[in-house]
Amino acid sequence: MAKLTIPAQELMYSGHAACPGCGPALAMRLLLKGLGPRTILSIPACCWTVIATPYPTTALGVAVLDNPIEATGASVSGLRAAADAMHLKDVEVVGFAGDGGTVDIGLQSLSGMLERRTNAIYVMYDNEAYMNTGVQRSGATPRGAWTTTTPVGEGVRGKPEPKKDVMAIVLAHRPAYAATLNPSFPEDFDRKVERARSIEGPRFFHIFAPCPPGWKFDSAETIALGRLATDSGIFPLYEVVDGRLRITRKTGELKPVTEYLAAQGRFRHLGAEDAARLQSEVRAEWDRLLRRERDDLSGSH
Amino acid sequence: MIEIRFHGRGGQGTVVASELLAQAAFLDGKIPQSFPFFGVERRGAPVTAFTRIDDRPIRLRTSITRPDVVVVLDPGLLRTTPVTEGLAPGGLLLVNTPRRAEELAAPPGVRRASVDATRIALAHGLGTAMLPIVNTAVLGALARATGVVTLEALGRAVEQFVPARPAENHRAARDGYLGVRNADPAAAAPVPATFAVPAPLAHPEGPVASVSSEVIHTAAWRTFTPVIHLDRCTKCNFCWKFCPDAAVELGADGFPRIRLEYCKGCGICAAECPPKTIEMVAEA
Repeated sequence: MAKLTIPAQELMYSGHAACPGCGPALAMRLLLKGLGPRTILSIPACCWTVIATPYPTTALGVAVLDNPIEATGASVSGLRAAADAMHLKDVEVVGFAGDGGTVDIGLQSLSGMLERRTNAIYVMYDNEAYMNTGVQRSGATPRGAWTTTTPVGEGVRGKPEPKKDVMAIVLAHRPAYAATLNPSFPEDFDRKVERARSIEGPRFFHIFAPCPPGWKFDSAETIALGRLATDSGIFPLYEVVDGRLRITRKTGELKPVTEYLAAQGRFRHLGAEDAARLQSEVRAEWDRLLRRERDDLSGSH
Repeated sequence: MIEIRFHGRGGQGTVVASELLAQAAFLDGKIPQSFPFFGVERRGAPVTAFTRIDDRPIRLRTSITRPDVVVVLDPGLLRTTPVTEGLAPGGLLLVNTPRRAEELAAPPGVRRASVDATRIALAHGLGTAMLPIVNTAVLGALARATGVVTLEALGRAVEQFVPARPAENHRAARDGYLGVRNADPAAAAPVPATFAVPAPLAHPEGPVASVSSEVIHTAAWRTFTPVIHLDRCTKCNFCWKFCPDAAVELGADGFPRIRLEYCKGCGICAAECPPKTIEMVAEA
């Protein structure tokens, strides 16, 4: 047998209630492979509450706390304190929340957890809208995207506002570790989970999680779309350890963003001007990351 | 009062079908009612919706357990969902299938009708091959097989209320009307219906969910099945690595095997397989 490039263990069970081709489902599967069985997950209201737990079943082979949507960060701090009080040193406490539950409703709770220096991992799986309730826009929905609350029609062209930069918000708290992860690159994904586990303190994962029904693309294309997101610079892969940034995937020239936009129905109404604007934003952000990486490497902050 | 129960999958337009039928009945001067069963309406997951039609206001507000008509938008559900439950002799079973109505299994005395709504939907560009939107073609067939609504009222309801491609949907409804095939209930000996009904779940003590979700077989969500041609398989594990349902396992010989009881037919394995040895085959 070819050597496995990611852990063999399966702690996410089949039979769960995610849509076919679900990005968040694959994100959870890969995450638990790296985290292992000594994990306590705290999951707020989001797609994954519904995916995992039609009572009395669970799709997760680890302990799970079901908590309110605004409380993931606080619950993670509480779970860590309890685990420490019980001398459960080998337990990893992990918050697993969607983008709405993180950058909108749970933002103060996340900020508190990071500021308290809680020794835990906070994961934001980003499907770029409130998908569980039927595709309502969130702070993480990109500019121009169609959602049911940012429709496309006469005078309206999807979401007018740009996406919140969650990594900038998190990095402002100086976490012990922060990284962007993409299930389309399982080896890079797994290496970052391993790296985070070797570090103590507040850690953060921003996971790219394509949603076939919400973004309007064929369920077979989830992985290909994820690759395109990273290789076009829409979702660059990097990690920040002790304030030093390192890009973990570089492919030379970035692919044009038009390919990424054309692959999804939620962007179908966008024109050449919208694409050009996004292209220049993506290029500027990529250049910023390259500069920051170079500066961090040379130690000149 | 006529009670109609729809069985379909999330994304096929099942709930919209029940609403469109009610709108058409209203345009015919009837007093209708429609609502879906409240559940997890994931794309591909089994969905149930109800329509009641009467000449007088309907006071009943419950789910339909003894339907006069059962409409099945996806033939795959026949194997996994007890669609004819409560359907009495004299009732009608209408199924979207390329097969003839005589080949359908139904309880004794139940009339059978079939329509190839998937072919009609795809001919009019409604939905994709993976997920055709068959509701309007099925409603056309229902109008002809039952007479509960006129084709004229159905056409007006489609033009007025279908959110996308009303003209194509109208044509699909007409083709469904023309394409329905009825079976004479006396002609064929009734075949007893057999369904794989999952065993009831054992409830553990307390509010802790402790039963593995693998007791739930999500195969019923699937419209296309992956078939691996192992002669060309390079054992690269990509199908295993990228499956969001953990439905691919690797054997001791290194070859992958799809656990079909869980596969939802998303098609990722076929799309990602480097030597393209996985084929997505339409469910019969």
